[in-house]
Amino acid sequence: MLNQVLVIAEKETRDALRDRRSVVSSTFYALMGPLIIAFVVFATYAGQNQSVLLAMISIFALIAPFTGGMNIAMDTVAGERERQSLLPLLLNPVERTSILLGKWLAVVVFSIGSLLVNLFGVVLLLRMTGIHIPVAASALSLSVTAGILPLALLAASVELLISTLCRSVKEAHTYLSLLVFIPMAIGMFLVFSPVARETWVALLPVAGQQLQFERLLNGSPIELLRPAVLGLLTAGVAILILLLAGNRLRRDEIVYGN
Amino acid sequence: MIQVQHVSKTFGCRAAVKDLSFEARDASITGLLGSNGAGKTTTLRMVCGVLTPDSGTIRIDREAELVRARRQRVGALLDHTGLYSRLTVKENLIYFGRLRGLYPDVLQHNVERLISILGLRSIADRRASGLSQGERMKVALGRAVVHSPHNLLLDEPTNGLDVPTVRSLREFLRELREAGTCIVFSSHVLDEVRILCDNVVIVSYGAVVSQGSAAEICSRTNTASLEDAFVQLTSVVESRIC
Repeated sequence: MLNQVLVIAEKETRDALRDRRSVVSSTFYALMGPLIIAFVVFATYAGQNQSVLLAMISIFALIAPFTGGMNIAMDTVAGERERQSLLPLLLNPVERTSILLGKWLAVVVFSIGSLLVNLFGVVLLLRMTGIHIPVAASALSLSVTAGILPLALLAASVELLISTLCRSVKEAHTYLSLLVFIPMAIGMFLVFSPVARETWVALLPVAGQQLQFERLLNGSPIELLRPAVLGLLTAGVAILILLLAGNRLRRDEIVYGN
Repeated sequence: MIQVQHVSKTFGCRAAVKDLSFEARDASITGLLGSNGAGKTTTLRMVCGVLTPDSGTIRIDREAELVRARRQRVGALLDHTGLYSRLTVKENLIYFGRLRGLYPDVLQHNVERLISILGLRSIADRRASGLSQGERMKVALGRAVVHSPHNLLLDEPTNGLDVPTVRSLREFLRELREAGTCIVFSSHVLDEVRILCDNVVIVSYGAVVSQGSAAEICSRTNTASLEDAFVQLTSVVESRIC
């Protein structure tokens, strides 16, 4: 089973990387956050209003995994359905769970890639503008690994679920574009809402990552437990959503095209 | 050998397949003949395990197996070619061979053999997006038999193909038959079935209305041609279950 999952993941990743236009557009999407932040830096005279700046950095970091996996997620199930290549794939003696896992792994690769491009853009921007953020590199990597990377797993799961529910790339694109607004909305809500101070909010996927990232950039002390619990919870939700997508892929309707 | 016994499948109010039974023997080509919407595609999809029958049994090589094991014994080209446009011809074949768990040396051998037999050498490293319809069909056929299956299902494989491609496809199928493969070939083109098939199963509104050799069917219906027999046998009204 693992071998088949890896074969599918490898093919999907290679296939998506050959779609150069899609890769370029995803990269621009990932760098859009740092670009907008650059405008804010200029507007606030070299980052004098740093709390707004930090909130924006964290919001765009949350969005990046969603935008990065969007193209491949819509192409890999809804696109295959539309191009009628899903049926030949399902004819193989491969469990549908394995097919889904392979595709999911490929989406995760692109989600993480997008997050890394976004963070790279932010670091580059901060260096160029000379803005100092009191966060150690080791603390950043720990927090990103434990708390934020599982967000890429969640983003990939949600995007694949939406893709399995859609019958065409156009339909999937509409819903996946709307999906990107959800982490953005949560992030903005937490910037202004007092509920952000509640402990339970910090354990909610997406909201937790936003708060954690913001705390980190503020130079607040790093806790080991909170990012770890948040990461586990996020990964758990990602698995649940993946199971739902797997259930959808097992239905008869999936073999019918438009 | 493929044995379909009393299989039914309903979509909403429409009974796509009704108590359908037929047998396709080894080293023979069985034609599943029916009008558009007769239930041929649904039947083939159930045989290869992508759709689950509501009732009935499907046995491949005399064994009623798990769907996954059944898929291992069957190669299928259903409905559309569905190639990956950004992969080359060779990569399309290799991908499906790897999914079927072929060892690298066996896979390499099979892919090279198919490229040679199907005349794909000049386009082997070309991406599928630039292929003609005939070339796409050949690649899809190669993909369906990359694991050398003992049973092959083809759903209207000659649709939209030019005469030379149809002829080379027929030749390829005859070679597979000589090698002992059980082939089930669905079509609504009577001439195609008459030329190629050893056994014909006529399906109308999801049910088998006659089966046997073309001569047997003509004799049974007291008609001069398979076309006359087909028209006579399929002129019944569709029934809905709700």
